Amino acid sequence: MMDGFFASEVMRDALWPALLIAVVASTVSVMVLAHRLSFLTVGVAHASLAGLGLAAVTGLPLLPMASLVAVSVALLLPWMPTGKGIHNDAASGMLFSGSMALGVLLLAGADRQQVDIFGLLFGNILLISQQDISYLMLISCGVMVAVAWAARVWWSIAFDATTAEANGVPVQRYRLLLYAVVGLTVILCVKLAGVVLTTGLMVLPAAIAWFWGRSLWSLWWVSMVAAITGVFGGLMVSYAADWPAGATIVMMLCLLFCGSWGTQWLMQRDRRSQI
Amino acid sequence: MSASVEVEGIGFGAASDPVLENITFSLAAGHFMGIVGPNGAGKSTLLALLIGMLTPRSGIVRFAGVAMDAKHRRKILQRVAFVHQLQAQHPSLPITVEEVVAMGDPKFGSWLWRRAKVRDRIAEALESVGILHCMAKDFRVLSGGQRQRVRLARALMRNPTVLLLDEPSAALDTQAQDQLYRLLRQLCDQQGKTIIMVEHDIAAISSFVDSVACLNRRIHHHAMAGEQIPPQVWQDMYGSHMHVMAHDHACIGCQQPEVTVV
Repeated sequence: MMDGFFASEVMRDALWPALLIAVVASTVSVMVLAHRLSFLTVGVAHASLAGLGLAAVTGLPLLPMASLVAVSVALLLPWMPTGKGIHNDAASGMLFSGSMALGVLLLAGADRQQVDIFGLLFGNILLISQQDISYLMLISCGVMVAVAWAARVWWSIAFDATTAEANGVPVQRYRLLLYAVVGLTVILCVKLAGVVLTTGLMVLPAAIAWFWGRSLWSLWWVSMVAAITGVFGGLMVSYAADWPAGATIVMMLCLLFCGSWGTQWLMQRDRRSQI
Repeated sequence: MSASVEVEGIGFGAASDPVLENITFSLAAGHFMGIVGPNGAGKSTLLALLIGMLTPRSGIVRFAGVAMDAKHRRKILQRVAFVHQLQAQHPSLPITVEEVVAMGDPKFGSWLWRRAKVRDRIAEALESVGILHCMAKDFRVLSGGQRQRVRLARALMRNPTVLLLDEPSAALDTQAQDQLYRLLRQLCDQQGKTIIMVEHDIAAISSFVDSVACLNRRIHHHAMAGEQIPPQVWQDMYGSHMHVMAHDHACIGCQQPEVTVV
């Protein structure tokens, strides 16, 4: 199966971009869980449909338009009137449903031949073009530079935002940067897993790492290993069984999560029985 | 020589319904001040004003003669540390004690910062609060008292001249409270740190602090160590139903017979 997988030109072309997305998504994933932004990823992923709709109507490039809308929606979140009793989850819900409705309306008016709706919703990494790869590389570099620059501060805000602010950290500015980075990473994942399954890539790697990590660094490494395993394994299985790649990758990550959960449960049971 | 902390005429909130009004005090280096008062008295607001998280309507705060304003805040905060209530941090983040303490370093956010370079200082800070043996442990498995010591060690990473603490003993048992106050007293006596601590229980802190400010919107009384706070002050702060009774039983933090508010 391995020989056939690597002999397939489509799989070979998809593997490296998919692994790149896995590395970036798993890196940002730990921040998503640490800052409790899982629902933001759902919101931004669905909001990207408005960008895709705009691209379909205007004829402008798809991924840059989706990125623009995703980042805009992510940055709008802190400006929502949360002081009036509308909390972040409700604000995310309103933003994503509004943007998605806009996307649906725009796509309804677009030329159906030009829009790969199934690809948008569930991902189409196997049909990735050279132009898409270049754009994904560009976003990935931007995201990783931002993470390298701001990660420590993001950790300190996630751990204790009040003390970070008391230490002179401009907390709100760093949060905005994080939202923008999450928005861009969501667009990477939309290419791999589609609007509907993107949250799986943004949440599951870190959720798996949460079972095993004992420090911030270990959290990161475990998350990355989990994402790479899920993406590589998912692509292999999708090739062998002829299943959709995005869904298979997310299912693989779900299995890794369940495996981690079960193993931890067994380990805890053993520890309890030794007491 | 200028005082370590000077607060002059601080007011906050609408003039018609102020949260704080005309707060004035001055502390020398090495002074340990407790602030007590009822819920909603403005104790935590005062600390937020001191560290520049809020801007006062009137008045000025100075640290070692330098005014706390937008221009000087960053520089001042390199030598002023803040420890707030225990419950505030992320409850499930997998993080080691060493990583938590490292976050206190003023250069922690810098691109070129490396933990290896400050490992000695992290160990020193943990040793000064008596939990060096916990350095490699997972922060989540520590007890409440140990966690609060770690947070104090994180504050000490800034080598602060002034420490501000907002109910540091909340959620601690009486023994852990007592140990924490003793530790803070040592920091004042041995390292000359100025400490301002907000607490609810005056009986618990009275034998450790140099002075106690009774706050409810304004400072009703600023009592020095050994001075008895007049019953009228308690009634002004908490209402006329408060009575002060002398008793001859020691309580936590009391080294001699004390006065208790009931």
